[in-house]
Amino acid sequence: MADLLVVRRNAYHDSARLMAISRRMQALPGIREAEVMMGTPLNLELLAGAGWPPAAATPLDLVVALRGERDDDLRAAEAALTGLLAGGETAATRQEQRPGSVAEAVALHPGANLVSIAVPGPYAAFVAQRALDAGRHVFLFSDNVPLADEIVLKRRGADLGLLVMGPDCGTAIISGVGLGFANRVRRGPVGIVGASGTGIQEICCHLDALGVGVSHAIGTGSRDLGAAVGGVMTELGLAVLAADPGTRAVVLVAKHPDPGVAARIHGVLAGLGKPAVVRYLGEEPPASRDGVRYAGSLDEAAEMAATACGQEASQGGLGSGVRGPGSGKESAGGVPAGGWGPGSGVRGPAQPPNQGRGESGEGRGPHPTRGTGRLVGLFGGGSLAAEARLALAQVGIDTTVPEEMLRVGAPIPGDGHIVVDTGDDAYTVGRPHPMVDQTVRCGLIRAAGADPTVGVVLLDLVLGDGAHSDPAPELADAVREARRARGTAPLEVVASVCGAAADPQQPVRQRAVLEEAGVRVEDSAFRAARLAAALLGPEGRA
Amino acid sequence: MDTAKALQLLAGPLEVVHLGIENVASAPAATGAPVHTVDFVPPAGGDPARVAALQALASGPVGEAVDAANRRALDRILASRPHLVGIGVARDVIPGMADGLFLHAGPPITWERMCGPLRGAVMGGMLHEGMAATPEEAARRAAAGAVRFDPCHHHRAVGPMAGLVTPSMPVWILEDLDGPGTGTRTFCTLNEGLGKVLRYGAFSDEVLQRLRFMADDLAPTLADALALHGPVDLRLLMAQALQMGDEGHNRNRAGTSLLLRELAPAVVRSTADRERAARALEFIHRNDHFFLNLTMPMAKCMLLAAEGEGLSTLVTVMARNGTDFGIQVAGLPGRWFTGPAQEVRGLYFPGFGVADANPDIGDSAITETAGIGGFAMAAAPAIVQFVGGTAADALATTRAMGRITTGPNPGWAIPALGFAGTPTGIDVRKVEEQNLLPTINTGIAHRDPGVGQVGAGLVGPPWECFHLALAALAQAPGLRPQASGPPPNPASGLGPQASGKAEAGETGSGEREGA
Repeated sequence: MADLLVVRRNAYHDSARLMAISRRMQALPGIREAEVMMGTPLNLELLAGAGWPPAAATPLDLVVALRGERDDDLRAAEAALTGLLAGGETAATRQEQRPGSVAEAVALHPGANLVSIAVPGPYAAFVAQRALDAGRHVFLFSDNVPLADEIVLKRRGADLGLLVMGPDCGTAIISGVGLGFANRVRRGPVGIVGASGTGIQEICCHLDALGVGVSHAIGTGSRDLGAAVGGVMTELGLAVLAADPGTRAVVLVAKHPDPGVAARIHGVLAGLGKPAVVRYLGEEPPASRDGVRYAGSLDEAAEMAATACGQEASQGGLGSGVRGPGSGKESAGGVPAGGWGPGSGVRGPAQPPNQGRGESGEGRGPHPTRGTGRLVGLFGGGSLAAEARLALAQVGIDTTVPEEMLRVGAPIPGDGHIVVDTGDDAYTVGRPHPMVDQTVRCGLIRAAGADPTVGVVLLDLVLGDGAHSDPAPELADAVREARRARGTAPLEVVASVCGAAADPQQPVRQRAVLEEAGVRVEDSAFRAARLAAALLGPEGRA
Repeated sequence: MDTAKALQLLAGPLEVVHLGIENVASAPAATGAPVHTVDFVPPAGGDPARVAALQALASGPVGEAVDAANRRALDRILASRPHLVGIGVARDVIPGMADGLFLHAGPPITWERMCGPLRGAVMGGMLHEGMAATPEEAARRAAAGAVRFDPCHHHRAVGPMAGLVTPSMPVWILEDLDGPGTGTRTFCTLNEGLGKVLRYGAFSDEVLQRLRFMADDLAPTLADALALHGPVDLRLLMAQALQMGDEGHNRNRAGTSLLLRELAPAVVRSTADRERAARALEFIHRNDHFFLNLTMPMAKCMLLAAEGEGLSTLVTVMARNGTDFGIQVAGLPGRWFTGPAQEVRGLYFPGFGVADANPDIGDSAITETAGIGGFAMAAAPAIVQFVGGTAADALATTRAMGRITTGPNPGWAIPALGFAGTPTGIDVRKVEEQNLLPTINTGIAHRDPGVGQVGAGLVGPPWECFHLALAALAQAPGLRPQASGPPPNPASGLGPQASGKAEAGETGSGEREGA
């Protein structure tokens, strides 16, 4: 049995509260008796009556009397008293309050490990710095962040070993949790690092459809592979996926990398120790080499990664055939045969469009009606627009981005084929992204319909969390109105749907709504573009 | 490349703090991660230069050094032990006090720019000191430069409302006993009571007679009593008062009662004149704000302990002279950052309204600076009318002040907040980051001299004070952003290098060098 009697000078506390604290002290390990009280004459008398030695204390001093088994227990209890006296609101009442800053939020929720930032660009870097100050990873959705700030943020993040996903990062999936715009894809062995939000989404959805699934998708923001940023976060993301036991193959997707940075990243990929696939959007793929596979489209990147995982799993099953769009045949294991050979990314000419993967061929006539006139692509995803442009160019259809902005209620400017990203800043001033708000895009569909020089409209539709909750009906209505506006003259409309089966919008339903409105639906922007090309006919080629 | 932290993130589970467009957080919420949404407002009012200054002071090695300095400053504030040790005559005990020198509330000011109540107090002070025979003569002589003016804060003193201290006035003497600033003394006059009083600019015979009674009768009685009683630990009285419904600025009934209880036996024992003892006790009893003139120098004594803490961005002074509002920060001691005194949002006594109100005045915001007053509203349900009318508003006010302060004061517990300590140590950076000004409880003075108090309510500092302080801190040696290199050396401090800038002149906004 051991005793400890301590007097803390000049420490006033309310007596009823001290009685409650005494009771809590008695419940501490190894404590038999605990009395915490102000040193009033009455209290000191009570203590003496309980067999304690006299304590020299005034009514303003706190007297702590502890009795227990071991000295260590007593000292631990005495130390714990400071915490008990400190008080504070309970977790429950604190939870009700909305924090006012990152620092406050992580103090209230110490388990938080990532800060998601979608504030106006001029303040985004400040908030991201505060997140790094707090030792948290960053998902930075905001755009219009100065490049100099991005460089500082990412270098600091890399120094601290913290991910800085963004700025201008639309999509990430971390261990099954989506950030920004993200599809509910199954978990699986393929890890993705991407500087393109919709590029990540399309690869994710293809992998999901292939039954393969995604371990993690780490977004980097659109400028990461530019010369200024130098791929800082791409490199960290790749290193993390290389070390992640749940990732068996890695896909990198980005738009227009700086050649020097791409060359360095090639070396990183070659040394990953895991199969690596790269898709540089809108570009012809370089030759695959050093074990790094360069894909010719997002579809192909997903298929290559799936194959790599299949290969690893089965030590075989690799084909060497060159696959054209829409020719995918699923193997018994749900993994399509895919080509690893050089040139596998080079697509052949447009295939008849009625051989789409899976159910996509259903519900269509055997041959499309040949349209005439111009092709107008109205995209919500910038990366998908880039993929479409390349797919069209590869079959001899050159497109431009008109210098003059497309306007609702006005004819389509110029006289050639055009592909427009309606997520571009010019189209989103003062309104949300077209993946959320389709008002402008629907208006432009009607404008295209009213313009008799337009023969084919090419669309994309990106589903998933963060996106419009039910986009197809609005697009279908716009297509119907577009056709009404031109009377008997035919208008072909082709759309790709980027979605995972588990997405809340239900891709099957979205597709059905579009098809009911006479829209031809494909599973990827690449395939939709090729179908549109076929619909234009030979006379549409440049 | 160190992948340990990122791998930890991938291992999950993910828990997200989100700021900005709500829709962007819908994905993590829908896919199973807890999402904690921050009430985001653009930092520093969205001003690019201030955001940059704030970033430099808040982030990285500099941010960490400032955080550490602020914790040290807070520790010193919390460790200080202000005791009431006696009463003396201003001329004899206040450092730098001299005949012909009047101390006033707030930052420095000239007669020309003084508001009505402060001028009235100066005139009353001259009559009290025998420097003029009539109010008119006093005004004339004051305008002619017969009186030197200096802020109370330049002499370790504080004063409510006009805050006038003249050489012959009795003042409380407080001293830090056993704290980090052991031996530090602070001073404040004795509270005159309500109604027509000098601190509200009144100078009638009634006012002057009371001042004489206080100097000749009350002060000696209390001085004798204190000598017999020994030092009174004011922090402990304050702790009890907070649990009895005071917040230490606009409500002082409990503190006054506790002081009366503490001193009464000594008052009676220290004099053979029963009537004299009764007069003193009765004077205290009749003035619910008697304790205010002790919470103020107590707060000043605590905050002096933080002054000069190198790199610290904590506010050590908030004070108003009825024309300007000024603040000082621990890392730049002696420098005032000023802006125009604000209109008080308040409740008025019958017959008075906004048109009668003088702009915010007095050193009493030192209580908020030390974490009580408006910061302790949650402790004072009786006066919730000032903050919106409900007890919930009072709790919200104290919680909000937690956002702009460095930490709680465990010695001053608020029962309604689970005995959380009062939010203490206003951080200039947090005020700017959260666009949230300190909430100050205050009385409202009539704009004309001699009328007195017309109401009470809430007021905030003008933003200029914090903007100027932020800019000065960001330029201070040791705090300027460094491209690389070692973190700043806190030991180097800021004080010696701090240089005053040109006075902003008649606009009332600017920086000034203190005494």
